[in-house]
Amino acid sequence: MFKMYTIKKGLTLLLLNLLLAIVACTLILPFTWMLLTSLKRLEEVGLNGWLPEIFQWENYRSVFTLKGIQFGRWYWNSIFVAAWVTFLQVFTSSLAAFSFARLKWRGRDTIFMMYLATMMLPGLVMMIPNFQNMIRLQLVNSYAGLILPGAFSAFGTFLMRQFMMNIPQSLDEAAEIDGASKWQLYWNVIMPLARPALVTLTIFSFMGNYNSMFWPLVMMKSPDKYTLPIGMLAFESAQGQQTNLLMAAVAMSVIPMIVVFVCMQKHLVKGIMLGGVKG
Amino acid sequence: MGLGFLMPNILGFLAFTTLPLLISFFLAFSNWNLELHNFFRPDATPQFVGLYNFRKLFQEPDFFRFLGNTLFLMLGIPFGIAGSLGSALLLNHKFRGENRRIWGVAVASSCLLCSCLLLIMLNMPGSTTLLLISGLFAVILLFGSMGGQTVYRTLFYFPHFTAGVATFILWKKLYSPENGPINNALQPILDWISAASANFSTANANLISNLLVLTLLVCNALFIRRALTRWREGESGNISLLVSLLLLTLPAWLAGQQLPLPWQRMVLPTGAILTYLAALWQVKRGKIFLAKADYALADAVIFSSAMLVFSFMMIGLVMLVERLPETQAGGLTPPKWLVDYYWAKPALMLMGLWGALGSNNMLLYLAGLSGISPELYEAADIDGASDWQRFWNITWPQLANVTFFILIMSVIGGLQGGFEMARTMTQGGPAGATTTLSYYIYNQGFNTGRLAYASAVSWVLFLLVLIVTLFNWKFGNRYTND
Repeated sequence: MFKMYTIKKGLTLLLLNLLLAIVACTLILPFTWMLLTSLKRLEEVGLNGWLPEIFQWENYRSVFTLKGIQFGRWYWNSIFVAAWVTFLQVFTSSLAAFSFARLKWRGRDTIFMMYLATMMLPGLVMMIPNFQNMIRLQLVNSYAGLILPGAFSAFGTFLMRQFMMNIPQSLDEAAEIDGASKWQLYWNVIMPLARPALVTLTIFSFMGNYNSMFWPLVMMKSPDKYTLPIGMLAFESAQGQQTNLLMAAVAMSVIPMIVVFVCMQKHLVKGIMLGGVKG
Repeated sequence: MGLGFLMPNILGFLAFTTLPLLISFFLAFSNWNLELHNFFRPDATPQFVGLYNFRKLFQEPDFFRFLGNTLFLMLGIPFGIAGSLGSALLLNHKFRGENRRIWGVAVASSCLLCSCLLLIMLNMPGSTTLLLISGLFAVILLFGSMGGQTVYRTLFYFPHFTAGVATFILWKKLYSPENGPINNALQPILDWISAASANFSTANANLISNLLVLTLLVCNALFIRRALTRWREGESGNISLLVSLLLLTLPAWLAGQQLPLPWQRMVLPTGAILTYLAALWQVKRGKIFLAKADYALADAVIFSSAMLVFSFMMIGLVMLVERLPETQAGGLTPPKWLVDYYWAKPALMLMGLWGALGSNNMLLYLAGLSGISPELYEAADIDGASDWQRFWNITWPQLANVTFFILIMSVIGGLQGGFEMARTMTQGGPAGATTTLSYYIYNQGFNTGRLAYASAVSWVLFLLVLIVTLFNWKFGNRYTND
């Protein structure tokens, strides 16, 4: 039979669950409203009830065919730009981190301190001259102008270095005895071991760029080059009255993030610890 | 060799970080304005104007106003931190650990509860929306009680993870004054209040507002006592004491001047002066307890600013209550949120809190909690400490370095923040109520083309961040070693 203790503990747990469920439910409510509204007809939007009369699934299709709204194009732009930035950033950061963490050369720590120091600078300080430089290089309204400044990240270097510092030094010596070059050491020994940090940086960088607003807002002038956040801004100002379609668009731009998050949760949690606690 | 590996990164770093940094620095001392110096006027070149931009910046009221907006929005930080600590504490339980039976009892009883709830809701003639929400709640409860921490953590983390233009647009719609879901939900409650207060007389209003002012006074006094005690016992330093006393008394004093009744306007300044006298007396008496190091500054800032917001809310409530007899005739209307000058900032803060409950900070706190040695709690159990005491004497001090780190990061983020929200939701309005420094810089630099001036503002912003960072370097390490 159940003991008194079990019941008491179980009820405490139930109470805890109740509390957590209430908070979680409140946090999820905006998303619920978003999904339900995106399935309504326009006339129903302002009504008190949340449930649509008939689920209008074609709202999602009509977002793509709306005049002046190149939603599919923006989707693609966002993913394209984010993927490029992520690839370049992970590559350059891991190389630099390898140099900072595993190699010894003069002035190494000074340069690393310089990297760290720029991390605390507000990004805004660099934006104005960066934009003027882009004008001079004629890269405004081009993918290259959007991708290049994001490809070199002090934060990524820092994150990777922190992780690489923890890989035992004896591996380097063993590789050296076996006659491995520095490149082989990087590619065959350190990179496979640094995979958790690589995955984390990939997610961070991809999500950050998928979501980033400031730089695309400044750089991209023609609608066919917009990324999703900028496109959403344009959508909101052009067709903001069509709340149901707007919510369908919001839902579609949020869903990839939720999918990535649910799949990659473990790595993300680890990465946040790495970047936060040890920094 | 080492440089070879660094090369790809450092070239980009020099081109896109270091070089713009230098340009921006010189820009701040020039008069480059796109209206005067542009492609069509090749002969007009920007001039070096020394400190002109900075002088202008400090003379214009705009800068201080927007700095004030930024700081005001940052008042949400202590609540965000408290919220993430609260979620971490709730999540830091063994949901299915030690005993399968306990877990089974919890799951079974939540099943029972859910089915009861749904049955009741089905039989009630209420709206389908309520049924829907309780259904959602039931699903969350079921999965949560079975899956434990992972499920809740995922749900808690959604708002933070998806934060961006999309969710800001979503919130703009939620807040919309006509037929927005928030106001639709508020209207019945307000109707109920105005019906209940139909016979509300001025005397009653005075009574209630006096009670509220008294509550505020008592709460303030308790917090002041806490600050003084902590200082006397050597748990916090002089700067902490000063910060808490100033934050606890001064703004309440100033805001208290808005209170409707004359004696209410008197009472907060009197309290403040009494506090200063008490503090002076303590300083005279307790010289030997002067703590040299400034411990517990994070603690002082968090508690005092939380109390500060609470005082503002109480004062606002008092004013509302006093005006109730006049306004109830026309019925109460919900606030216009983002369109209203006074409600725009609280609306943004509320949205910030939604994202802050389950943010990275929650994860950091969870890691911090798992790092506290269980022996401390066992020792406390032997001494017969209550949950409250366990929290204040073990958990909170043990988490001090995490809290400090989170506070510093939030302050740095808060100083630079607000751009995306302002651009997406309010365009900095109404009447500049939500224009933060970052949005100001964007506006000046990219809309009006006053590049030099925008650079100057951004360097002032940098100085503010630098002060916080230096502070972190000075006190942060000591904190972690404690």
